[in-house]
Amino acid sequence: MIIISPFAKKLANNMENPKNYAYWEELIQIIPKDIQIVQVGVEGEKQLVHEFYKNLPISELRQLIAKCHTWIGCDSFFQHLAWDCGKPGIVLWSVSDPLIYGHPENTNLLKSRDYLANNQFLWWDFTEYNADAFVKPEEVIKYL
Amino acid sequence: MNKVLCSVATRGRYHTTLPLVLNAIINQTRLPDKLVIFDDNDEPKDMRQEMIYQYFFQMLDIKKIPWEWVYAEKKGQHHIHQKANEMGFDWVWRVDDDAIPEPDVLGNLLGYTTIENIGAIGGSILTPPLKFDTSKSTGKVSDIDKEPNIQWNYIKQSKEVEHLHCSFLYRAGVHDYNLGLSRVAHREETLFTYGLYLKGYKIIVAPHAITWHFKNPEGGIRSESKQELYSHDETIFRNTIGFSDSTIVVLNAGAGDHIVFSHILPEISNPVIFTCYPEIVAGKSIAEANALFGDLDQYNIYKKMAQWNWKGSLEDAYRKLYL
Repeated sequence: MIIISPFAKKLANNMENPKNYAYWEELIQIIPKDIQIVQVGVEGEKQLVHEFYKNLPISELRQLIAKCHTWIGCDSFFQHLAWDCGKPGIVLWSVSDPLIYGHPENTNLLKSRDYLANNQFLWWDFTEYNADAFVKPEEVIKYL
Repeated sequence: MNKVLCSVATRGRYHTTLPLVLNAIINQTRLPDKLVIFDDNDEPKDMRQEMIYQYFFQMLDIKKIPWEWVYAEKKGQHHIHQKANEMGFDWVWRVDDDAIPEPDVLGNLLGYTTIENIGAIGGSILTPPLKFDTSKSTGKVSDIDKEPNIQWNYIKQSKEVEHLHCSFLYRAGVHDYNLGLSRVAHREETLFTYGLYLKGYKIIVAPHAITWHFKNPEGGIRSESKQELYSHDETIFRNTIGFSDSTIVVLNAGAGDHIVFSHILPEISNPVIFTCYPEIVAGKSIAEANALFGDLDQYNIYKKMAQWNWKGSLEDAYRKLYL
């Protein structure tokens, strides 16, 4: 079983968070069908797979992480929690800097540092969404 | 590098002590690398129209001291000092607008900047007639209610203390002023220098660095009569020194940040934690921290990383902030 944590925290201005991976549906399509995929997130987020656990308490998220083989996520709370649990996974980066916010124990996939936001320390509301900033699903699947 | 910014915050003293202060700064034996005057007057004037100031500005140009006259935001001198603190200099020499330094003050204070881990150096701040016996003053914050300030008389020899008063030289950019104080900014310099001390920097009083303090009940950066403002600031001061044996931690950040922080928590001595996510890092509420300390910006990890032009990991940023 693998966990996907597709979305970063909703922005105050209701715009798409620029850290949200742009190609989740395409990526899920090319993950081998015999792998069970479990989505975690919060109420209001788009459901991408059949099994979607919303608003799990941290203790239950930890239990789920302990059971999974690995996980794929964006730069959000989940990547820190899984790191804290000692479970390496794949983080799909775009505008935030993995050297600051990432953990070397994970596979940190950043297409190019050219896409990083100039100011890494502002709210992400001020950064435009850019799907081109992410690596493509074919690249991600190589690391799964 | 020992680039020194001289910063003067002024209010209501255009024609009393401020000219004396500026004259004294311009005639230091070791000149500052820049002079900035923060004008916090209710009705600021263009002092280039005033004859005495015209001469001052010309003297500064002749002596090649870059200078800037900044119209301040009328929020109090703590905001002004924080601006100076962030102007990119190695050291800031803050001089009050009624404190007239003798010509060798900056040079003598700078002589102490080679001491390892020095944070701030202050000299004597003398108000005639000299009526305080400071021979037994310790300079410790715990004695602040029991003794005259050690700077209120001649300082015979250098001594490590825990806080400074009025005008002094300090290492810039390593500690913030408490911006939660009211406009009167009562105790602001004590809180600031004691904060440096708590961060492990040495605070020293030095001999042969005499500043004459022409205390004047009229004018001044603290010219406010509302007692509640002083009480507000005094409460923040008392709350802060009440935690002097602890490391105050304020986690005013996201849930993921709390997790990252939790990895350095075992390294922090005697932490008192205020938290947004007690289920991740246990502690008291942020509202409580706000009520106790007034200003939480000094604990804002994102603000600090921006200030440090940070390139390292979030975990190391927390380490820098708290260890």
